[in-house]
Amino acid sequence: MRKLTLYLILFLVLIVNTGVRGQSMSPTTGRNGMVATAHPLASAAAVEMLKSGGNAVDAAVAAAFTIGVVEPDGSGLGGGGGMVIYLKDQQKSIFINYYGRSSENASQVDFKSGRDSYTAKAIEVPGTVAGLLLAHEKFGSLPLKKIMEPAIKHAEDGFAIDQTLAKLILDNIDNIMSDSVTASVFLDDGFPRMEGETLVQKELARVLRGIAEKGRKGFYEGKQAEAFVEGIQARGGVLTLKDFSSYQAEITSPMKGTYRGYDVLTSNVPQSGISLVEGLNMLENFDLKASGHFSESARTLHIMAEVDKLIYADRYQYLGDPDFVTVPVKGLSSKEYALQRFNSINQSKLDPPRYRDAEYGDPGVYENNLTRETVREPEPAEGHTTHLSVIDKDGNAVALTQTLGLFFGSGQTVSGVLFNNAMTNFSYNVENVNYIQNSKRCRTSITPTIILKNGDPFLILGSPGASRIITTLIELVVNVIDFGMNVNEANLAPRFYCQKFEDYLHVESGIKPEVCEELEKMGHAIKIYKGIDLFFGGAQIIMVDPVTGEYSGSADKRRGGIAMGY
Amino acid sequence: MKARISTIVTILIFFFTVSVQAQTFEQPVLISSAGQSADVKLVKMLAQRQGLDATTILMAKPADLTGFKTLIIVPGFSSKGLGAAGISQQEEMERVQTLIKSANDLKIPIVMLHIGGNARRKGQSDAFNQIVAENSKAMVVVRQGDEDGFFTGISKAKNIPLTLVDKIAETATPLGNLFK
Repeated sequence: MRKLTLYLILFLVLIVNTGVRGQSMSPTTGRNGMVATAHPLASAAAVEMLKSGGNAVDAAVAAAFTIGVVEPDGSGLGGGGGMVIYLKDQQKSIFINYYGRSSENASQVDFKSGRDSYTAKAIEVPGTVAGLLLAHEKFGSLPLKKIMEPAIKHAEDGFAIDQTLAKLILDNIDNIMSDSVTASVFLDDGFPRMEGETLVQKELARVLRGIAEKGRKGFYEGKQAEAFVEGIQARGGVLTLKDFSSYQAEITSPMKGTYRGYDVLTSNVPQSGISLVEGLNMLENFDLKASGHFSESARTLHIMAEVDKLIYADRYQYLGDPDFVTVPVKGLSSKEYALQRFNSINQSKLDPPRYRDAEYGDPGVYENNLTRETVREPEPAEGHTTHLSVIDKDGNAVALTQTLGLFFGSGQTVSGVLFNNAMTNFSYNVENVNYIQNSKRCRTSITPTIILKNGDPFLILGSPGASRIITTLIELVVNVIDFGMNVNEANLAPRFYCQKFEDYLHVESGIKPEVCEELEKMGHAIKIYKGIDLFFGGAQIIMVDPVTGEYSGSADKRRGGIAMGY
Repeated sequence: MKARISTIVTILIFFFTVSVQAQTFEQPVLISSAGQSADVKLVKMLAQRQGLDATTILMAKPADLTGFKTLIIVPGFSSKGLGAAGISQQEEMERVQTLIKSANDLKIPIVMLHIGGNARRKGQSDAFNQIVAENSKAMVVVRQGDEDGFFTGISKAKNIPLTLVDKIAETATPLGNLFK
């Protein structure tokens, strides 16, 4: 009966708008609001808030709490994230960084990424609750209890496991089995719960209710925080009560850039919006449209891949917590530096012949900052995250990306909350700007982004996918702005990915075979993914028609999401 | 109506069980993957539950077959698994083809366990599902993976005994029965 009710709710939600996934290249449309998330129940929660008179922030916060329940592999109360908010009437943009912070005792831990990735040693102070509550307090309008109702309901009553979650439970069985409490949630009789089974998370519902009633005190202080700390320390972690009570999400300006007459608002350092800005700045020096779309032109794809390689080389060299290191933000985001970097690209062949030999640049020249001679290290490649995009009837917009680190985070569930393993994002090389230190924010790939046209939101987008996030966002922006695609076409277009610490140029099979052959002649080693693949992210995009003002939304078919408008 | 369906299901289960019992498999058993999904680890647990004398080699090669009397293959594509193994999909397929050929040459019977349901169907999984299923002497499948009749079709066409169960945990008993 419960399952029947859930399916009925889902059906009713779907008929809010018939922008059906997959069948058509026409996106979901609406004029009063639009939401795109990785799960229908999270999209429904957001639409419910908009229809109740809430604004985009209310809707985004409701969706973010809900997605942590119904997509527990990707984000949740035990994780962190970032969001870009644009308040149209004030023409004001805000960035909230609520990614985790390392413990005050982090440097005392003998943590090795890989060996300890799925242990309590990998847990950072979670920022999701602080970030979402801060956004709601500053910019929301509906009562918190109302906003958290859908998340509490789905945790308490359960929801049907979809194919994406079922597959991820199977794929990450070792991580899930590493903690008996986590296993008790996702396994049945010791084996994975399957698609269609109901996943109930009563302990999580209890924690969510505590937050709805007490705000951040219901999570970061008192008995709840004591239970977290006790459980984490019992599992070998080092988080303290002070780590929890002192955690604050931060409000700053977003990273800003421009691309072919559009304004780009994206996540600020140490998140990776700066890499998006740098990449787009480089591509402005090339007539993409004349060269042809990268799925049909080897030259275009080669140049974009070379740009990706260079921005990653810079990213590994310079991007770290600005409270600890000097990040040459002005130089990295300058058009002049981008031109210099672009001019270093050999447009006819892979040069140098190994991606790993790509050199970082010297952005300090463009801002008089000293650069550092350090050693770079790659980030984990299997990171998993979630993104959601929202716009309300007044044109206020939110791009929000949040994560647990890797799939199912550390795998450690304490007092109902599955905790992150964001410590895996740090470098363990003392010379690296992203070296682990006490109470430090790690570098992260998340890049929630809003793009404006003449001061009005035009694109709201983001994606999960670890280091693929940045390349996926560049490709999406190019698809829409350079090639005039609608959001569904942009989302379904084949993707590619490469970066400094890769041996292959990864491409989806929609890239024409003759393009791949030509790329191989240029020196690229190609790895082809049949069809579309979750490896390349799961983007959620909203576009506003600059002429009609109509909203169109697209949830990535690579993931089980849905866009809803009304 | 319910009673009729129940009768038909019982007859089918009986038919398949009788068919499966027509061939008994011997130990020791080698368990391997086709597609490098994590499902093989679960099959290892299932085999342990049934007390089978089983060894798991994720990327078993023909030389690994020495001394084993049955080969259990767990099909299912995982890009994560292939990445961890450091091989391409094509290389994995070539390994599986070679392993199956060697097992057939050595007259080591193959049992297929497909436990991943929809998550291990279609897409890149079905090429592995097909080659393993068609070369098996018995199949145990979690029903969700056969909703479109994929395995039933192969079972009928090749006269291969097929046991369908509802949940992963329920594959343990029919797996054990194959060796009794």
